Amino acid sequence: MKFDNKTYMLLETDSFARKALIAGTAGVLLSVIGAFMDHSTFYQAYLTAFTFFTTISLGGLFFVLVHHVTGAHWGIVMRRVAENLACTLPLMGFFMIPLFFGMHDLFHWSHADVVAQDPILQGKAGYLNVTFFVIRNVVYFVIWGWLVHSLRKLSIAQDNGDTEALGKMRRIAAGGTPLYAITVTMFAFDWLMSLDPHWYSTIFGVYVFSGGFLGGLALLSILSIVLRNNGAGDIVTAEHTHDLGKFLFAFTAWWGYIGGAQYFLIWYGNIPEETIYFLRRWEYGWQEVSLFLIALHFIIPFIVLAFRAAKRVPVIIVSISALFLFMHYVDHFWMINPTFNDHHFQVSWMHLTTLLGIGGIYLGFLFKKMGGASIIAMNDPKLQKSIDHTVA
Amino acid sequence: MSILKKHPERDPGTAEAVGGEELLVTGGHTFKTLTDKVSGIVEQKPPAQWWLIFVMAVSGMLLLVGVIGWLAWEGTGIWGLNNPVGWGWAIVNFVFWVGIGHAGTLISAILFLLRQQWRTAINRFAEAMTIFAVITALVFPGIHVGRIWLAYYMFPIPNQMLIWPNFRSPLLWDIFAVGTYFTVSTLFWYVGLIPDLATLRDRATNVRKKVLGFFALGWRGGNRQWQHYEKAYLMLAGLATPLVLSVHSVVATDFATSLVPGWHTTIFPPYFVAGAVFSGFGMVMTLALIARKIYGLEDIITVNHLEKMNKIILVTGSMVGYAYMTEFFIAWYSQNEFEVFAFVNRAFGPYAWAYWIMFLCNVITPQIFWFKKLRRSIPVMFVASIFVNIGMWFERFVITVTSLSRDYLPSSWDYFSPSIWDILTFVGSFGLFFTFFLLFLRFLPMVALSEVKGVLPEADPHFYHQKEGDTK
Repeated sequence: MKFDNKTYMLLETDSFARKALIAGTAGVLLSVIGAFMDHSTFYQAYLTAFTFFTTISLGGLFFVLVHHVTGAHWGIVMRRVAENLACTLPLMGFFMIPLFFGMHDLFHWSHADVVAQDPILQGKAGYLNVTFFVIRNVVYFVIWGWLVHSLRKLSIAQDNGDTEALGKMRRIAAGGTPLYAITVTMFAFDWLMSLDPHWYSTIFGVYVFSGGFLGGLALLSILSIVLRNNGAGDIVTAEHTHDLGKFLFAFTAWWGYIGGAQYFLIWYGNIPEETIYFLRRWEYGWQEVSLFLIALHFIIPFIVLAFRAAKRVPVIIVSISALFLFMHYVDHFWMINPTFNDHHFQVSWMHLTTLLGIGGIYLGFLFKKMGGASIIAMNDPKLQKSIDHTVA
Repeated sequence: MSILKKHPERDPGTAEAVGGEELLVTGGHTFKTLTDKVSGIVEQKPPAQWWLIFVMAVSGMLLLVGVIGWLAWEGTGIWGLNNPVGWGWAIVNFVFWVGIGHAGTLISAILFLLRQQWRTAINRFAEAMTIFAVITALVFPGIHVGRIWLAYYMFPIPNQMLIWPNFRSPLLWDIFAVGTYFTVSTLFWYVGLIPDLATLRDRATNVRKKVLGFFALGWRGGNRQWQHYEKAYLMLAGLATPLVLSVHSVVATDFATSLVPGWHTTIFPPYFVAGAVFSGFGMVMTLALIARKIYGLEDIITVNHLEKMNKIILVTGSMVGYAYMTEFFIAWYSQNEFEVFAFVNRAFGPYAWAYWIMFLCNVITPQIFWFKKLRRSIPVMFVASIFVNIGMWFERFVITVTSLSRDYLPSSWDYFSPSIWDILTFVGSFGLFFTFFLLFLRFLPMVALSEVKGVLPEADPHFYHQKEGDTK
C-alpha cells in the first residue's frame, strides 16, 4: 500500500484485499463443512463472529455520527477511514441471512413446543417470534445501510467540491443518532440477550454498544498507524493516534463502568432469575473467562493507556488495539457461548474458521473501499485544522 | 486543498470572525475591558434586583431553618409519610439537588478535557452552583430521620458501643461519594479562582486587598506559576471526571439495590447520570439567563454559548427518554408481573399526573431544540429550562413514591400526599441555595476571567508578531 500525496488515494490496496478475500473464502468453505458436521456449534460460532464484526462497524458509524454532530475537528483526517469501516454494514447485513436458517439452533424461544410449555415465553411471543425478529432485523440493516450510504455519498460529493454536503451530513447524522441508539439497543436485545429468553437487563444495549465502539476505535487506531506507515504521515500524525488513544482510555473505562453496573446491581439484588446469567459464567471453567475479560478488556489496558507514551508510540497503541479487538471477541464469546455450554467450557475450531471467513471477507471489503476513493476527506473545511492539530 | 491562514490579523476591539469561526466573546472586548466588566460587578454596589432576590432568598433560608426546628421538635410525623411510603420528599429533594450539581462538574472537567473552549464563559458560576447544590442536598440526609442531633451517625465513627453504619448500605456510600464530590469540586473551583482573585486583589485597596491577597495565595502570574497551575488544573479535571459518573451512580444504587419493582433495574446508574447532567444544565441555563440579563454579560455569555448548552439539554433529555422507554419495554419483556405492574401503575395509576408531567418536561420539551430558531430564542430556552427543572424533580418523585405506595401487598397500599411542611422544606431549600449563590455573585468573579482571556485571539502567542508583519 502507498498513500498518494496528490490525489489522497491509498494505492495498491488490492493485493492485501485479495489475500484477505482468499483467506476469507477458505474460512467460509471450512465453516460450511463444519456446518454439515455440527450445525448447532457452527451457528454459535458464526453468531459470535457476526455480532463481533457488526458491532465494530457500528462503532465506526458512531465515530462518524459523533464527528458530524459535534463538529469536532481533530479527527477529520480519520473521518473517511471511519466511513469505510461503517460501509461494511451492508456486507454484515448479507452475512446475517444464514443466521435466519439457524434460528432453531440458537433461540430457545423459536420452538413452538417450548413456548407452549412456558407461560413466560408465551407472554413474550408478541416480540420474540421468528417473523417479527426477521422483519425488524432487516429494518435495522436498512436503516444503517441508508445512513452509511447517504453519508458516504455526500462525503464523496464534498471531495468533488460540493460545499453544501457538510451541512447535509450534519443533519443526517443528527437525525441518525437517535435511530442509531434505538436500533443498536434492539439489535443487542435480539441477537445477544434473547439467547437466554428468560433473562433481561435494561443496560444490555448500552453494554453491547460500549464494547462495539471500543472495538471500532481500536480498529481505527490500527488503521491510523497503517496510514502513517504508508506515506500519509504528514496528514495523520502521532497527535491523532494520541487522541484516538485517549478515546480508547475513556471507553475502556466506560465499558468497565457499564459492565460493572450490570454485574453489581444483579449481584446485590440476588434474584435467581437475574443472577443465573452470571452464575452460568462463573462455573465449569467459565469463571476464568470472566476474570480474563475483566483483566484484559478493562484493568490492564486502562493502566497502560494512562501513560502518555502508550498513546503515542505506534507499537504500543497497535498492541493495545489488537488486544482490545481480541478481547472484544472474547466479550461476545462470553455473552454467547455459556448459554449453550453451561456445563463445560468449550471452543470449537469453527470459532476460528468463522472468524477467518467473515473476517477475511470483511477486511478484503474494507480495504477495497479504502482504496476506492481518497482516504482523506480532502475538501472538509476543517481538514487543515485537523492536520495542524496538536495535543497539548 | 484550502490552506487556512494560521494566524489571521485582527485588531483588538473588532468582532469579525477568525479563521471562519465565530468569536467566543463578542462586543469587541479586550483583556482590559473584560477585567473591568467582570471585576466591576463585585467592586460596585449590587443592583437593586440583587437586593430584591437576596431578601427573598434569605427569607427562604430562614424558613428552612424554622421548618427544620419544628421537625426536630415534633419529628418526621409532620411530613406526609405513611406506612408504605416511608421515603418521601427528603430523598426526592436530596437526589434533585445532587443532580443539579452535575452540570457544573461536566462543564468544568469533562468539557475541559474535550477542549470545548466555550465552557470558559459559564464554568465558574456553574461550578459555584455545583458546590451550593451539594450543600443544599446534604441538608436532607442530615434531617431525614428527624433527629438532627444524631446526624453524626451517618459517619463511621469508632465508638464504645460498637455501633456502625452498615457498610453494605448504599446510604453510607452516598456519604462517601457526595463527600468526595464536594471536596474535589470545591478544590477545583478554588484553584480556578486563584488567578482571578489576584486580579481583584491588584485592583483593590486596604482591607479588601489584604483579604483577597490572602486567598490569592501570593499569585503573581509568573511563567512558572502558570505552568504549575495548568498542571494542577488538568489533574483536578482528570480527578473530577470520574466523579461526574460515580456520584450519581451511587445515588442510583440507593434505589437500584433494593428489590422494589421499578427501582431494581440495571440501567439506573447511567440513566441517573444522564438525568443529573440534564437537570443541572436546566438550572445553569435558568441562572445564566437571569445573571446575564441583570449584569449585562451578553457579550461574554453569548447566544452561541446558550445554543450549545441547549444542544446538551437535547442530548441528555433524549438519553433520559431512552432510559424511560427501555425500562418500560424491559418491564413488559421480563413478564414479571410486579415489574409490569410497577410501570403500568406509574403511567396510568393514581400518580399518572406526575408521570406525564415528568415525561412531557423531560422528554418532549427538549425536543424543541432540534430547531435552530428555538435553540437561539432566549424566552423559549428560559421557559424550557424551567420545565426541565420541574420535570427532573418530578422524575425523582415518580421513582420514589409510585414504587413505594403500591408494593407487593395490595393490603398495605396507600396514597402519599405531602404535608405543608414537606412543601415548606423544599421551598426553603431554594432559599438556602440562592443565598449562597447570590453571595457568590456579589463577592467573587462570576466569569472565569483568566480563562475567557485565554480564548481571545490576543491570547495567541503569535498574535502581536502577526500584527507587525512577522510571517512566523
